[in-house]
Amino acid sequence: MADIALAHDFAETARATAMRRHGKGDSRFRALTFGAAILVVAIFLGVLIALLNGAWPAIKTFGFSFLWTEKWNPVTEKFGALAPIAGTLISSFLAMAIAVPVGIGIAIFLTELCPRPLKRPVGIAIELLAGIPSIIYGIWGLFVLAPYLQAHVQPWLIDAFADVPLLSALFAGPPYGIGMFTAALILSIMILPFISAVTRDVFETVPAMLKEAAYGLGCTTWEVMWRVVLPYARTGVVGGAMLALGRALGETMAVTFVIGNAHRLNPSLFAPGTSISATIANEFTEALGDLYVPALIELGLILFFITFLVLAAAQIMLYRLERRAGAR
Amino acid sequence: MSAGMQNGNNARARIDIRDLSFYYGETKALKNISLPLYDRKVTAFIGPSGCGKSTLLRVLNRIYALYPNQHAEGEVLLDGEDILTAKQDLNLLRARVGMVFQKPTPFPMTIYDNIAFGINLYEKLPKSELDDRVQNALERAALWGEVKDKLNASGLSLSGGQQQRLCIARTVATRPEVILLDEPCSALDPISTAKIEELIDELSKEYTIVIVTHNMQQASRASDYTAFMYLGELIEYGATDKVFTAPENSQTEQYITGRFG
Repeated sequence: MADIALAHDFAETARATAMRRHGKGDSRFRALTFGAAILVVAIFLGVLIALLNGAWPAIKTFGFSFLWTEKWNPVTEKFGALAPIAGTLISSFLAMAIAVPVGIGIAIFLTELCPRPLKRPVGIAIELLAGIPSIIYGIWGLFVLAPYLQAHVQPWLIDAFADVPLLSALFAGPPYGIGMFTAALILSIMILPFISAVTRDVFETVPAMLKEAAYGLGCTTWEVMWRVVLPYARTGVVGGAMLALGRALGETMAVTFVIGNAHRLNPSLFAPGTSISATIANEFTEALGDLYVPALIELGLILFFITFLVLAAAQIMLYRLERRAGAR
Repeated sequence: MSAGMQNGNNARARIDIRDLSFYYGETKALKNISLPLYDRKVTAFIGPSGCGKSTLLRVLNRIYALYPNQHAEGEVLLDGEDILTAKQDLNLLRARVGMVFQKPTPFPMTIYDNIAFGINLYEKLPKSELDDRVQNALERAALWGEVKDKLNASGLSLSGGQQQRLCIARTVATRPEVILLDEPCSALDPISTAKIEELIDELSKEYTIVIVTHNMQQASRASDYTAFMYLGELIEYGATDKVFTAPENSQTEQYITGRFG
């Protein structure tokens, strides 16, 4: 009897020790992950403070008018961010307008229509496209794409829309090759793999039975994709598109090569323009004077906020979409 | 297997399956199946897992055609016309032969749209008529009372049993001729199951119904004819009463009494 009791006691103590050990391990683990999470917040705040601090002289001098002034004159130290802000937004949204439909189209083809032997090669090609460094897109854009557009596409577009009221302004002027249009095109190629890869992955999470149910009602592939699969996967698709938009907004190298770097607003998409990141990258090395560097840093701060707003808008859009589908 | 023709009633075979074989790639999953499915009767397919009963069901609306390496040989006559030929329009076939799945599959849209969606595929109705059709379908599926105040809520917000009745309503709304039910109650509790069975009974007055089930009681309660399958072969087919009380084949007897499967 005593033996049994002893053994029992021993087991008790062993268990208690183990529990204590587990408890300690747990709290350490918790501290570790908490630290990691805090680190993100700290870095975020650090960046924000550094930007605000660096931009302060420019903010003080120009105030909010910085946002809607077009003039950018380093000699007289008059700076305004309108051209780069407009350039960033126009090139990015134009790129999205091209890449989102094409990307979703690729994803639909890959998940529903692609013959099996083609599936892997095409999928791998898309992932490789995502891995190409942006400098290569830049070089290609400058030396291959831009001359081609200048020689073949732009003159044709200018001619074709010459008599259409609104479009003639959009597609006007001498075909430079480089400019907003080319930048948007390069950007769309760059973000295409993100959109199609993410969209394909979320399409593949759609239950086969749900698709069968839709096909079972007599839907065509188009109806199944448009009415059932896309709504089911909307969160993921919007998420992928936003990831891509984030990249487009911040993309520097490739855009700098082909956008033309002119601080001018021009209604024509073929005219050279500039973007926030292209301006910063181009001008930092030669920025002299008390306001030039702060003005560039303020541009960075603005980009920071734009990205922020885009993410917020994406959240609101998702919420609306879900409400419309009656999920809440 | 021979019971089909001399069943003593004058029901017409809506679907006539003749010498049907089915392949998943190289694997033969159905072996020379022949049986009739009578008009406005409920036919149950029973058998242990992997016996091919769901496969047989999936041939009847050719949903298997979504997958490239599956194919069927033989004939399946729907009102005398072979649906397995290449010239068969699949969308049209699926409009005539509706299907309800093992798990509820409401579409990611409102309750109303879940029903209206199927109708809109084939008909362009004015709003008021569409409303009537939606209400009618929901009533037929015994769901109207529960959802009439929240037609704009998501189909996904319903309980499992309600979702399954929504799917049945969706199928009924497109006015098919045949309804295929693939273990429609396997994910449901007994109360929902009872409601679905009542519904099947009600629907069998107008539709030809085929139901795959693992549940012996369900097959004996809900069906007029029963087909017992095993390893891809049709072992026994006949009136449900007869199959359950006096099966001809010893394997059938063993299965329905729960000794294997």
